[in-house]
Amino acid sequence: MLTVKNLTKSFTDASGVVTALKDVSLTVKTGEFASIIGKSGSGKSTLLSMLGALDIPTSGSIEVDGVDIAKLSASQQTAYRAKKIGFVFQYYNLIPNLTALENVTLALEFGGMPASKRKARAEQLLDSVGLTAKEQLRKPSRLSGGQQQRVSIARALANQPAIVLADEPTGNLDSETGKKIFDLLHKLSRSENTTILAVTHDMDIAGKTDRTFKLKDGKIVA
Amino acid sequence: MNVVSRDIKNAFRSPMRSGAIILMLAISIGLILSMLVARTSVNSKIDEVKSKTGINITISPAGVMGFSGGGNALTSDQLATIVKTVHVASTSATLSDQMSTSDTNLTASLELGNFGARQMRFESASSATTNGGSTATSNATSADSIDTRPAPTPRTTVTGTTNPNSISTDGSDLTLTSGATIDGNSSALIALVGSDLVAKNNLTVGSTFTAYEKTITVKGIFKTGNKFQDSGIIMPLATAQTLTSQTGAVSSVTATVDSSDNVSAVITSLKTALSDKADITSQAEVAAASVSSLQSISSLALAGVIGATVAGAVIVLLAMVMIVRERRHKIGVIKAIGGTNRKVIGQFVTEALTLTVIGAIVGLALGVLVSGPMTNSLVSSSQSNTSYSTSTTRGGMGGEMARGFNRIGSNFTQVTSSITPQVFIIAIGITLVIAVIGSAVPAWFIARIRPAEVLRSE
Repeated sequence: MLTVKNLTKSFTDASGVVTALKDVSLTVKTGEFASIIGKSGSGKSTLLSMLGALDIPTSGSIEVDGVDIAKLSASQQTAYRAKKIGFVFQYYNLIPNLTALENVTLALEFGGMPASKRKARAEQLLDSVGLTAKEQLRKPSRLSGGQQQRVSIARALANQPAIVLADEPTGNLDSETGKKIFDLLHKLSRSENTTILAVTHDMDIAGKTDRTFKLKDGKIVA
Repeated sequence: MNVVSRDIKNAFRSPMRSGAIILMLAISIGLILSMLVARTSVNSKIDEVKSKTGINITISPAGVMGFSGGGNALTSDQLATIVKTVHVASTSATLSDQMSTSDTNLTASLELGNFGARQMRFESASSATTNGGSTATSNATSADSIDTRPAPTPRTTVTGTTNPNSISTDGSDLTLTSGATIDGNSSALIALVGSDLVAKNNLTVGSTFTAYEKTITVKGIFKTGNKFQDSGIIMPLATAQTLTSQTGAVSSVTATVDSSDNVSAVITSLKTALSDKADITSQAEVAAASVSSLQSISSLALAGVIGATVAGAVIVLLAMVMIVRERRHKIGVIKAIGGTNRKVIGQFVTEALTLTVIGAIVGLALGVLVSGPMTNSLVSSSQSNTSYSTSTTRGGMGGEMARGFNRIGSNFTQVTSSITPQVFIIAIGITLVIAVIGSAVPAWFIARIRPAEVLRSE
């Protein structure tokens, strides 16, 4: 269960104090596939950063399975990211000098899995997202956009996280591939009982998720 | 994939760049090793030269060299000044004289020969002039003078000393073939007699002879292997002073300094205290001037080591800073998916170490190859200066001193480079310092990168 209460995030820039999120509250149940929509600058990525413990909120709380991640120390937040959160980025963000298999193995290493079990687990994950054994040994530069995003999803699911945070997961893909990726995420949320929170511009995709939150000027409007 | 092998592999993501970094590091580390070898070899040679020159300083009355020259003997006050000089551990004073046939009943064991006759020609001429009551002979040619003067007679050298062992020619204690040594501080009418003089006069321990109208008892017989010394007599200093009516006078003092490092300071103090009344000579002083060029090489080598170390550290530092800046986004991703600062820093330190270790292997091999020629080149360039300073100091010195300086001079040509395990360990230590310095600043940069940046740059 993900519970966000009165979350506010302010930045200071040259023009003064900018409030990116204003008193945001939301709840997503375990295994739910939710989407966040909104225009550019509405605070979607900032919210995702807070939920993923990549940034610290100015005020408010974020509880994941009863633990307030806003109050964790830096090292505890790192551990939280490694074990409880999976990230899927718009531009995949795979490590370019590592193969698809090694990218997934790296996440397993950070999650604390014993070295002897990592390879088998990574192969199983890549297999489940539809990458062949040959493709698993390729570096990201030799994989298509859709294949890279599949690797990214496999990496996000590596440590059986409580939440997968997806930032525009289909934004860099053609519509057909984007649909396949969405279906994959949807299927995994069901099979792995993982909570998925995806930021998207695509209203068709948002419409197929269990719940949709609309952000406008840093506030939840629907 | 193994974590370490993955990080090592990372170091070669850009072969051209890694190759350039390794090459620059290798040159830098090769230079460090070469300079360390040169410095160690030169320092070792400096120590060797210093140890050979000893810690003795000879103080003679100004203008006097052995039985040559002229001037006033050193006084007891001057001797006291020498004894009280800081860092002077001990002194031995001597007063030398030569006995003619009118001073002793002993027959000299040294033959005059051409050399001895020439040394005595002025005194003989003076004697002939006095006897003949005319100065005409002083205008005659040398050959004529020798022909017309009475034949000169050989003399017997008497050395009064506070330390009979100082007469030994090899630096060790005087070798007695029979009898016992004498107390240099006594004033008894006793003597040690050289083996050649003993043989010439059929002396034994306990027998007596006449010197300066006094009866002297033979206490011991010594043999040095040096014909001049073995034809002489050694007495206590006070005895010699009394017999020759030169109370308190000293013709030579040897001061032993507590450490070779203090020889220069003692010489300076003595020159100040005794002013122009004494000539002060020391092999160490001349050697110090001669080794100054080697010390310059040593300093130059140290500067080279420091410079090459700084250059190496800067090369690794800049390379790693460049790599960190280039991979800023990747570092953000790694942190976002759960990578700790320690793991990410560890990866970059491994990369820096990999580049440094490969650079070190190539550099050390390079250093082994060039250190010998480089040391020889550095030393040979200073050799001409050394030869010059040696030859210029030789003219004013006595034979024994000059031979000593020759030995010192020849040592400079024998500086050999050698790579000792110690030098190798130091070079490897410096290499590690380079890697640590080269990694420390990038590590600081890495720790400051926030994972949120990975989303902002999307």
